[in-house]
Amino acid sequence: MKITVGQGSCGIAAGAAKVLTKLESFFASEKIKVGITGCIGMCWLEPIVDVTDDNNVLHRYVKVSEDVAAKIAQAVVSKDFSVASEYEISEDDNSFLTQQTRVALRNCGLIDPENINEYINIGGYSALKKVVSSMSQNDVINEIKVSGLAGRGGAGFPTWFKWNAAKQSAGDEKYLICNADEGDPGAFMDRAVIESDPHSLIEGMLIGAYAIGAKEAVVYVRAEYPLAIIRLNKAIEQARAMGFVGNNILGSSFSCDFRIKAGAGAFVCGEETALIESLEGSRGMPRLKPPFPAQEGYWHKPSNINNVETFANVAWIIENGGQAFSAMGTEDSKGTKVFALTGKVKRGGLVEIPMGKTLREVIFDIGGGIKNDMQFKAVQMGGPSGGCIPAELLDTVIDYKKLGATGAIMGSGGMVVMDETTCMVGMAKFFLDFTAKESCGKCVHCRIGTKRMQEILTRIVEGEGKEGDIELLEELCEAIKDGALCGLGQTAPNPVLTTIKYFRNEYEAHISQKKCPAKECSNLVIYEIDKDKCVGCTLCSKKCPAKAISGEVKKAHSIDADVCIRCGQCVNVCRFGAISKK
Amino acid sequence: MEQIKITINGKECVCNDGEYILKVAKDNGIEIPNLCDHDSVAAFGACGICAVEIIDNGKGQAFPKLMRACATKAQNGYVVSIDSDRVLRSRKIALELLMSDHEGDCLGPCKLNCPAGTDVQKYLKQISEGNYHGAVETIKKVIPIPASIGRVCPHPCEQNCRRRLVDEPLSIAFLKAYAADKDLEGDTFRPVAASSSGKKVAVVGGGPAGLTAAYYLTIAGHNVTVYDAMPKMGGMLRYGIPAYRLPKDVLDKEIAEIKALGVTFKNNCKLGTDITLDELKTDNDAVIVAVGAWKSMQMRVEGEQLDGVLGGIEFLRDISSGDGEKPDLKGMNIAVCGGGNTAMDACRSAVRCGADNVYVIYRRTRSEMPAEDIEIEEAIEEGVDFKFLTNPSEIIGENGKVKQIKLQVMELGEPDESGRRSPVAVEGKFEYLDVDMVIMAIGQTIDAVGLDSIEKTKKGTVSANAATFATSDEKVFAVGDATNRGASIAIEAIGEARKCADVVDSFLEGDITPFREKFVSKRNDSDVDLSDKPKLERVKMPVRPAEERKHDFDAVNLGFDDEQKVMQEAKRCLECGCHDYDDCKLIRYADMVNVSPSRFSGKKNINDVERKLRVIERNPNKCVLCGLCVRICDDVAKQGILGYVGRGFSTVIKPEFNNDETISVCANCRKCFDACPTGALKLIEY
Amino acid sequence: MCSCNCNTSNIDLTLLKPVLDKYAGVKGSLITILQNAQEIYGYLPTEVIYEVANATGNSPAKVLGVATFYTQFRFKPVGKYLILLCKGTACHVNGSEMIAQTLKETLGIGDGDTTDDGLFSLSFVACLGCCSLSPVMMINDETYGNLTPDKVKKIIEELRSR
Repeated sequence: MKITVGQGSCGIAAGAAKVLTKLESFFASEKIKVGITGCIGMCWLEPIVDVTDDNNVLHRYVKVSEDVAAKIAQAVVSKDFSVASEYEISEDDNSFLTQQTRVALRNCGLIDPENINEYINIGGYSALKKVVSSMSQNDVINEIKVSGLAGRGGAGFPTWFKWNAAKQSAGDEKYLICNADEGDPGAFMDRAVIESDPHSLIEGMLIGAYAIGAKEAVVYVRAEYPLAIIRLNKAIEQARAMGFVGNNILGSSFSCDFRIKAGAGAFVCGEETALIESLEGSRGMPRLKPPFPAQEGYWHKPSNINNVETFANVAWIIENGGQAFSAMGTEDSKGTKVFALTGKVKRGGLVEIPMGKTLREVIFDIGGGIKNDMQFKAVQMGGPSGGCIPAELLDTVIDYKKLGATGAIMGSGGMVVMDETTCMVGMAKFFLDFTAKESCGKCVHCRIGTKRMQEILTRIVEGEGKEGDIELLEELCEAIKDGALCGLGQTAPNPVLTTIKYFRNEYEAHISQKKCPAKECSNLVIYEIDKDKCVGCTLCSKKCPAKAISGEVKKAHSIDADVCIRCGQCVNVCRFGAISKK
Repeated sequence: MEQIKITINGKECVCNDGEYILKVAKDNGIEIPNLCDHDSVAAFGACGICAVEIIDNGKGQAFPKLMRACATKAQNGYVVSIDSDRVLRSRKIALELLMSDHEGDCLGPCKLNCPAGTDVQKYLKQISEGNYHGAVETIKKVIPIPASIGRVCPHPCEQNCRRRLVDEPLSIAFLKAYAADKDLEGDTFRPVAASSSGKKVAVVGGGPAGLTAAYYLTIAGHNVTVYDAMPKMGGMLRYGIPAYRLPKDVLDKEIAEIKALGVTFKNNCKLGTDITLDELKTDNDAVIVAVGAWKSMQMRVEGEQLDGVLGGIEFLRDISSGDGEKPDLKGMNIAVCGGGNTAMDACRSAVRCGADNVYVIYRRTRSEMPAEDIEIEEAIEEGVDFKFLTNPSEIIGENGKVKQIKLQVMELGEPDESGRRSPVAVEGKFEYLDVDMVIMAIGQTIDAVGLDSIEKTKKGTVSANAATFATSDEKVFAVGDATNRGASIAIEAIGEARKCADVVDSFLEGDITPFREKFVSKRNDSDVDLSDKPKLERVKMPVRPAEERKHDFDAVNLGFDDEQKVMQEAKRCLECGCHDYDDCKLIRYADMVNVSPSRFSGKKNINDVERKLRVIERNPNKCVLCGLCVRICDDVAKQGILGYVGRGFSTVIKPEFNNDETISVCANCRKCFDACPTGALKLIEY
Repeated sequence: MCSCNCNTSNIDLTLLKPVLDKYAGVKGSLITILQNAQEIYGYLPTEVIYEVANATGNSPAKVLGVATFYTQFRFKPVGKYLILLCKGTACHVNGSEMIAQTLKETLGIGDGDTTDDGLFSLSFVACLGCCSLSPVMMINDETYGNLTPDKVKKIIEELRSR
């Protein structure tokens, strides 16, 4: 009998820690140990408790409350699992997992991230052993080349090429850096890997360090990920204690030390040269390229930077061979990719699939379609650097080229689903609010250009848009793409360009008719009470913070549009569906 | 080091392998605009203005993206364009974005509002140092007759002087006259004319416009002759403005200076009568028409043809023409119709000619009068009787002579387009004045004799292009009161003529270059905080008492007599214009690509001006965040006093913080100041 | 930098010494030192910035430059409850704007401010990574998900009455 409770950040946020404590309290006398795992990626079902019974049958309980935990305890003690069977995962929900192919996430949610032995028991660190004992640097690079692995942080640059460049750069002092500054709003796969399977990252990094000849590896983690930092620290200490990290690793001549640096809140530090500036203790303002980090990086020494997901694939590739990896995917894009599926989708969580599946398969087959049976409108991919892909392109195949052709990008894998109630101009404004806030301020195009785009978008959603604003935005977009210094600035126009490309009519409606087709922009909607449906319960008028609703008891009420502040609270409280936005 | 060849804008440049394109260009005398590059520090790449297009990488391929010239190393065979459409588009937007976040006055409101664009701030500074010769040199870049103009100009500079928001505007016009007078006393400033171009120009009209055009074309090396219908040069300054405002000897001296420069004067030569336009065209390479507007407008009321009704212009001309002999109006009652400066000149002249009663008939009230306030004030002092809210409706005669004027009583209605409340007749309400003479001073128009072949506007003025001053005849240009909108103030005519001289000069060189207003950064009065400026009293111009002055045409103003006070007055200047305007790279580039930043107007990153670095005042609102001061303070001066604060749009460069006092560690090396591409840093006296 | 009326002379700089000693001579540690300093003082008082500059051999301007670049650093004392409202994409799509509005109204403060009673500080942050629970906020170390305006008001009430 084995009991584990998923303890990822969002599981804990959903109450997994309380469930764990509750279960532990039940089994304190029973001598049954309740273990933990990381995150399995079924976020909408958290907290999740896995019980493997004596017959090796897995019972997976979902949305576990403290009361349900009591039922599970009863089932475990009585060995009668029928008492809690109603809380087990449905077959439909389970298909979320069965439709996936997991490489980078292979151990997530299955092992205890705080116990290195669990990782070793399932074959962990054997790839490292193989590398240090029997492979040359070139062998490793070659294997990665065969695999076709490309950088999973966003740009999709061939990993082997960067490794090779760093290896070939002159000098003894080289650095291997992991970019775990996962900043795209809506992306959380890197956090999940670190929290759930830190040793996969460490092993991948060690192999990378071996390949390029680095004696020091640094992980740059977002400060907003405290649990990830704790678990990674623990994992490094355990790995060091077992001889995987430090001098003469596994008895070889290869030595590599490991360090964590916590970021301090700056999205631009996801850009590799800004990240290096930040690592050196400076303001995260991007450097000019060339020189590239492979020639002159951290402390002006050759450095290689990959993101978490990239490294998480490495040990698997060494173990299973590059060809096994490249056998998956498309002509252009090899292997698998992890997506953080969120937004207005029924089943939100981590999805790892081979390249080549379509967006429709991910959103509808795996994600279960749109919440509340609304209409799918668009999916945002690649965060602030990416774009919105409309319904008519749902059958787009997921690979770097095909996604790029839509105007969006693969990015780090954020996939935010939107339904008909999401305003696309508002969406573009949301991203420009973000990039303008995160602009480092160094180059003119980004510093002032994103600010101006944000201002134009703001006036459009507020109903103050002017004729010519769309063209002005397009002109700014082109200029910023061409003129900004780093990737953050150069890609900042993408959310605007794609929404204009696919949803120009929404922009036009805001500007010329002062209407928001999605009825989301509060300045452009009016709330109305349907006289036939209103029973005069007075609840809405009591709730209205602006005192905009009047009417006698048991008679139809009405809203004074001039007084209404468009907070929408009346809609939420009305039990008769009498209030709607126009 | 290996030598390579690259091509920049068609020019082949040999350079060291791996040298930055910006430097290669610079070494080869090609300027690629940039704001954040400096020889003493490493490339930074912030401004993006140096972006160029590499149309061939030496292997027949173009770079897909624009490249920053400051940070792109030249490689053999590169073909670089620094002014392709794409490059210019990118540079323009970058500069527009920068300007949209730039808060400062390139020029003071005085200079901006002067139709001639006189560098007021500069000459006030020179006057404050007692350097009158220098001041006149500054003024004479645009005004050839400063002593005259200083006396008569309604001075839009003063009306817009920002010190008026603190106390009173500076006495700019009188300071100008003072400096010019001083300069005329001694070794007068006289520019050196360029060597002769062999080209001939005829200027028709010797008023402010004609004299100005002649002056600057002569300096440019052309052979200029001014033709004028009157016996002496000066135009309206001589024959329109009474001597009590502009003593003729002052005008004579300044005109003599113009003549001394080499301009030929031909007086008593009227176009259409004594000489034809065709003749002038035949004998000259270009003709400039500056004949002014010498006809008073008619009022279109009954009785206008009566004896004793005359135009203000004609009245004033008669007084001025008579060699000091003023007409005798003793015992007469005179009505002057109109509210402008000509009406004031006419009524005050009538007083001086001994008239018993002088009335001014004006259909609105005093506050709507277009005349200068001081003129109205002094006219009242001299006994002129103002009949506000009345309008001539009929001139009643007896035996063909004026006897009475019938006035319609008016009241003020709604404001019109000009913002003035328009007068409305009070039905049936009239007043009568017994008068012997009616002077119409309600406006003036052109006497277009001899200009039949030139296209006119609907108003009957000569139609001239606003940017080239060209008329329908390609060899003929026209400026001043005779053109377009018609009569205006002298300084307007001078401003046009100055610009016209440049255009005609370019025309004579064979390639006509239209005048273009330079782009400048401006602030509104409401954006300016002057609360810390101490109040300083404006120096008063001493005048003769009314009782004394009203009997003669001698100067009303006695002139400043205390040089200390003059310098003190000049020191009241707030120096609104940017000290760095002439050297500012930002504005030079912005003007070069003809920016229109207003399309990107939005929030500006406004921060306080601070003076922590002993000798340097830092104005973050003019800063472009090129970071040169920070990098130079770090890497060259090794001081590290400056740093960025904040992030993104609100980033600001500041010296050490939390310390209201000056910073003791600053080495006072001023290297930051030297490197700053804009006027964000300013040296101050310590 | 400190614009509040707190008496900054009360800052005990000896608390910082172990941190400065630990990272003495370790290059590139400025951000880490500032993070540790903020752990100690709750924010970065001016004295601390000068002390860090002094100890690390950086100019105060550079230290301030670094500190003001990163959103993690604060220059004013923070309230007893630090509310981090997620402004990530998923939260946006699921109505974080309304939550932001509710928080501002209920607390009477804006992003980056602290209530007069020193109880609450409000900070809008980039994605907290709990997208499936959106809209989400974190108060001190606890995460609150699936927020509605009513739920937010209740949470604030509850913390106030504690």
